[in-house]
Amino acid sequence: MQDASTTPPDLKSMVKKLSAGASYRRMLAASEQGRPICVASAAVPVEVLYAMDVYPVFPESLAAIAAGIRKADEFFEAARERGFSNSVCSYTRCGLGIAWTQKSAFGPIPEPDLFITDVSVCCLHVTWWAYLEEHFKKPTFYMDMPATDDPWDPEYVAYYEEQIRAMVGFIEEHTGCRLHMDRLKEAVSNSDLAGLYWKKILELRRHKPSPVSFRNLAGEILPLVTALGEKDCADFYWALYEAYKQQAAQGYSPAQGGERFRLIWNGIPIWHHLQVINYFEEKGANFVWEPYTALSWGNKTPTGRLDPEEPFRTLAQKYTNILTNMPLHRRFQYFDQAIRDYQVDGLVMFSNRSCRPQSIGQDEVVEMVREIHGLPVLIFEGDQADAEGFSLQEAKTRIDGFLEILQSSKRG
Amino acid sequence: MDSEIQGQIMEKFRQGFLARHQACRQWKKSGRGVMGCFYGLVPREVVHAAGFLPVQLLEERDARLEDKARLLPFLCGMSKNITGQIYEGRYEYLDGILVGTVCDTNRHVLDIWAHRKVVPYLRLLRTPSKADHAAWKFYAADLRRLARELEQMGGQEVTEKRLWESIELYNQNRILMERFRSSRNTLGISAQDALYVLASSLVMPVENHNELLRSLLQTPARAWDKKSTGPGILICAMNLNMAWDIIRLVEEYGGRVVADDFTINARYGISLVPRQEDPFLALAIGYLRRVPAPGLYSFQERAESLAQQMNSSGAQGLIYLVQLYCDAYAMEYAVLKEKFDLWGIPHMRLEAEDNSASIQQLNVRVQSFLESLI
Ligand code: SF4
Ligand code: SF4
Repeated sequence: MQDASTTPPDLKSMVKKLSAGASYRRMLAASEQGRPICVASAAVPVEVLYAMDVYPVFPESLAAIAAGIRKADEFFEAARERGFSNSVCSYTRCGLGIAWTQKSAFGPIPEPDLFITDVSVCCLHVTWWAYLEEHFKKPTFYMDMPATDDPWDPEYVAYYEEQIRAMVGFIEEHTGCRLHMDRLKEAVSNSDLAGLYWKKILELRRHKPSPVSFRNLAGEILPLVTALGEKDCADFYWALYEAYKQQAAQGYSPAQGGERFRLIWNGIPIWHHLQVINYFEEKGANFVWEPYTALSWGNKTPTGRLDPEEPFRTLAQKYTNILTNMPLHRRFQYFDQAIRDYQVDGLVMFSNRSCRPQSIGQDEVVEMVREIHGLPVLIFEGDQADAEGFSLQEAKTRIDGFLEILQSSKRG
Repeated sequence: MDSEIQGQIMEKFRQGFLARHQACRQWKKSGRGVMGCFYGLVPREVVHAAGFLPVQLLEERDARLEDKARLLPFLCGMSKNITGQIYEGRYEYLDGILVGTVCDTNRHVLDIWAHRKVVPYLRLLRTPSKADHAAWKFYAADLRRLARELEQMGGQEVTEKRLWESIELYNQNRILMERFRSSRNTLGISAQDALYVLASSLVMPVENHNELLRSLLQTPARAWDKKSTGPGILICAMNLNMAWDIIRLVEEYGGRVVADDFTINARYGISLVPRQEDPFLALAIGYLRRVPAPGLYSFQERAESLAQQMNSSGAQGLIYLVQLYCDAYAMEYAVLKEKFDLWGIPHMRLEAEDNSASIQQLNVRVQSFLESLI
């Protein structure tokens, strides 16, 4: 943990250093310096890549950014032209479009040197990276994590730990980069701090009113993806935590006119229409917990911390705990706990047609939540990155109706 | 006379498939258990060695089932259909269901079934997507655990000897199926009937299926019914009902389906479970990346095997049939497509729901594909 007596870094300058644009520029710089560029998926133990001086590029994240600034259409089109059915996840279609065209929303991207994915995130990750492997004819490594109901089973963690070591061997073989244990420990330590402050930020949302907006968090998650393991990343979340802590002390709420309702958002943010979240806030509803922020990122080990002295083991424990690989009953336990801890009034379930592993079982979670907590629930369908068929006006009408129900159930 | 014998054998295959629920209930009456397998990655040998009858969960065409399932609209019809059947009680004889992950949908519908407690025992197999020493070891350990669990459920002890006997039986089935596949045209068996041979293998006791296959292969060769001289087609599909429909459509427009490719039988005959010291390890080696499930099997090998099948069966075109909302197979097609294009294999993807109306909508496309091959 940072020394309490030291001053936190300046948030503005940290934001500048870690913005989406900055991460694009850092990628170009890394490529110019001759650092290997690796196309990595979510849930790859990225701390190892940083420790080895390999620069990771994340197609899911590039897809989310492209969708966020409405520049994803040409990538979807590229996928269509190659025979991809529209039913395939929009991250995959968009991510492949980015790979084929070799440009992102910010400009051209350098030719990658290697590919690594983690197959536990969803089944598409195997095929997606196999496709990249075929297309680019570059070395590709699959972090294997079989489906399981128990991500922290020691046998399972041990299997994954072996995979991390194999990944190191793969990188060394194909890049000439070597792993130095002190660098790895440092990266794990930075990651631990970033995760710790992330968790503290999420905990601040227990305050009434919660000072943190989901709209902001959706953007602030980026360094956890693109810069995890670096000191800047840890500093950024430290500064961010301090800023939110101050806001909490001042009783600030992103919900306009005061926080009338405290909600849960289930699913990936709708990147192409983040205004949906703003609309909730305009109407006095604030999101205080989401599996996406709370369970997908940060230190997902049993203790909530990473142990730099046991870097492989600790990373294995962190990365075997994958939201999309979680059985329903565990997901429900998280909801149940969050509803109590965060004093939640209602749930918004984003039924995301792209992401089967996140959406499937939602109705059953709703059923359990209703049974135990009797909370109102809004379910709306859409896609996290593909805006086709989405109507903001329709969403607003449904939100209005939901807020009325929330209002009357509060009165009741 | 010969064709009469063949007809009788074929009828047994057909009944093996069509009357599967009755047969399973009968089996239960004999005091033994029945274990549902959700797809081809479940090593049926372990189930068999424990004295259970392994039966694959298969789609049944009935429009009401989908509504009954109450699953998300953008999930594949296969998972909805099977879920609907389970809720309707069509599988009430099952002691349990084993799921070998091929996609996110089949992995997570298991959660929903568990939540609704549809069967006493539900088990997710920890199937690695790799095939190296660590993966084999890991999977072998899980299969060993599975065996112990099945024993505790009232199965018989899975001794090494028993397991080897089961492996032997299924290996024989693979060999016989492969012989059938390569000789079905000379045996004069139609594509529709061939599908019954495959479908019954998924639900019948392996001993009976082997016996039927042996008798069938002994029937004399018959001249191929050359009613049609139209283009030969290789059909890739995973939904049996949809495949039957497409075969009919192809025939309607003057073509012939000369070969078929299903996850469970493609290359099935040639990837035998090897002889190893440890039968669990042997099964891990025999299954991991050996069953052509999308993404869990080498695309290159799959494409090559399809190309080779095109060659040996004399097919001129390939129809790849995907169930709507099946992203696993939709993705696989996109990978294979580039190879087919490169190799000059005429191919077409069809995407549909498992109902007659949806398939009928494809008839123009099937027709023009066949015309393009002439
Ligand atoms: S299906 Fe879900 S987990 Fe998989 S790539 Fe898409 S959004 Fe990510
Ligand atoms: S493989 Fe396709 S059809 Fe089968 S369960 Fe998965 S998504 Fe459904």
